Amino acid sequence: MASAEQLPGPNDLSDEEREAVETLLFRLADDEFVLAERYTEWQVRAPTLESDLALANIAQDELGHARLWYDLLQDFGPDEPELIWERDPGEWYHSTLTELPFEEGDWADPILRSYLYDAAEEIRLEALEDSSYARIRNRVGKVQGEEDYHLEHAQNWLERLAEEEQSRERVQTALDRLWPHAQTIFAPTDEEVEERIDDLGLRTKSLAEMREEWRETVVPYLEDLGLSVDAGGETDLPEVTGRNLSHTDDWDDLWEDFTATYRELGREEATRIMKDPDEVE
Amino acid sequence: MDIEQVKERAGPREFSPKDDLPEEYRKAATRMIQFHANSEIMGAYLEKPFIRQAPSLDRKLAFSAKVQDEIGHGQLLYRAAESLGVKTRDEMLDELAEGKGKFLNCFHYPMDSWVETPMIAFFVDGAAMRRQATLKQSSWEPYAHAMDKVCFEEGFHVKHGEAILYELMTGSKKEQELTQEAFEEWWPRIIQFFGPTDDKSTHHDFSADVGLKTMTNDELRNAFLNAYVPKAEKYGLEIPDEPRIRDNGDSTYEVVEDDLDWDEFFTIAKNDYDPGKGQIDGRKQAQDAVEWVRETLDSHEQRFAGGTQPQAAD
Repeated sequence: MASAEQLPGPNDLSDEEREAVETLLFRLADDEFVLAERYTEWQVRAPTLESDLALANIAQDELGHARLWYDLLQDFGPDEPELIWERDPGEWYHSTLTELPFEEGDWADPILRSYLYDAAEEIRLEALEDSSYARIRNRVGKVQGEEDYHLEHAQNWLERLAEEEQSRERVQTALDRLWPHAQTIFAPTDEEVEERIDDLGLRTKSLAEMREEWRETVVPYLEDLGLSVDAGGETDLPEVTGRNLSHTDDWDDLWEDFTATYRELGREEATRIMKDPDEVE
Repeated sequence: MDIEQVKERAGPREFSPKDDLPEEYRKAATRMIQFHANSEIMGAYLEKPFIRQAPSLDRKLAFSAKVQDEIGHGQLLYRAAESLGVKTRDEMLDELAEGKGKFLNCFHYPMDSWVETPMIAFFVDGAAMRRQATLKQSSWEPYAHAMDKVCFEEGFHVKHGEAILYELMTGSKKEQELTQEAFEEWWPRIIQFFGPTDDKSTHHDFSADVGLKTMTNDELRNAFLNAYVPKAEKYGLEIPDEPRIRDNGDSTYEVVEDDLDWDEFFTIAKNDYDPGKGQIDGRKQAQDAVEWVRETLDSHEQRFAGGTQPQAAD
């Protein structure tokens, strides 16, 4: 039921269309990649062996999704090194929610972060189901299939953590810190490009609509758990949103770390060991 | 069953929790499996930083999956050890944190650079796989059973390590040189993985008599050298001059033991080697930092365990 006209394939897009598709893809890919990068910090550090395995699974799912979206950016020419390993840290579009570091032992943070993110992800993927760009539309289902479990995992944990006063307080502390950054999930990159994304039917809901829907979901849920949400208006966006290419200092450190081997070995290529997503489809 | 009956019956997968086994057997099996489980955890601890360090998206995914597999192996093995009724998993994890739990020599060394990753993921895992394959015949059925899954997954890990080694040894001159340097540093440790020659090993005789183990350290070392010396050479690595390894020409080798640092080895075996102590303490710190979560989980379980608390009706 896509009302907008279908867009052609990657080689036949106008410059303006292409810019809109690329921006949308960078939002998706960078979020998943950076969030996964942070999640993996919990490997061999989670509270139990079982929770270690579960969060590792989620991290790998997100890396897999990042791979799917970066692969669509490769349609336009850049290879993996240009998209990841050689891209300047000031050219990444991910929400600042995904890049924040964890305090040691602060298990409330990844759980709450995952909840806030995955609730948003559900809404954002729904808005891509009828995207006018077939390459995106065709990959949404695969991602959605895995995201359901992530939300369930986060909610199961949140509900248990909220039962006890001491652990609920930890969740509250994490919420106070993460909430402004979570708003950036639906923050615009360039206003004009975001409008074009909507006008071209690349997504079927605007950022403002999705943000509203997300808040209507997460605020009551968190309040029911006994948490207080300081839900102001647009003003709770932090100065740096990630979407506008400005990031926290922690991002620069993270970028330095994950690109270190690539740079130190003087690499110019990134090894692929798995099949191209188009071959799998 | 007394110990003589155990020795008489000992065979592959012969004993299970249904059997009434003497304490001597249960303790020996616990010691062996706990060591193995601890090694999975400490191996994962050592490799985990390389999830972040991996220089491609696919390598990152593979490293994350490998570390996850090792934690999964730890989980399986602690369960196999718990089923002997000597120690609980929490006790074993606490012992590991407190520096009382023993684990493989190679996981006491620090690993700083990407070029070192195949030393663990190819050579050490390859060596471990040889040993583990023989443990599918162990007399403690839950242990042997765990080895089916562990060996299956280790096969992928060794391939992953081998692919990284191949990539480095066909990469730039700098990569090749750094990899050779790493190999020279790790090679003696890898040889020591199999422990001293049999006359110095204290636990083997009993473990072999009751069927927990089926091959001696010497047999395992020979099997490893037969397979891995040619592989190292195939990828362009030069085998270091020391330790001197004499090829007896009949698929057996003799390692000149004086060329290896056994003081260091036994310091490691006591958990007294400095880098290893740092790794044990680092993991302890991580375990302690999430103690509050386990407390919350315990309260949650108690609340749902059947109304032992007055407020359970709420």
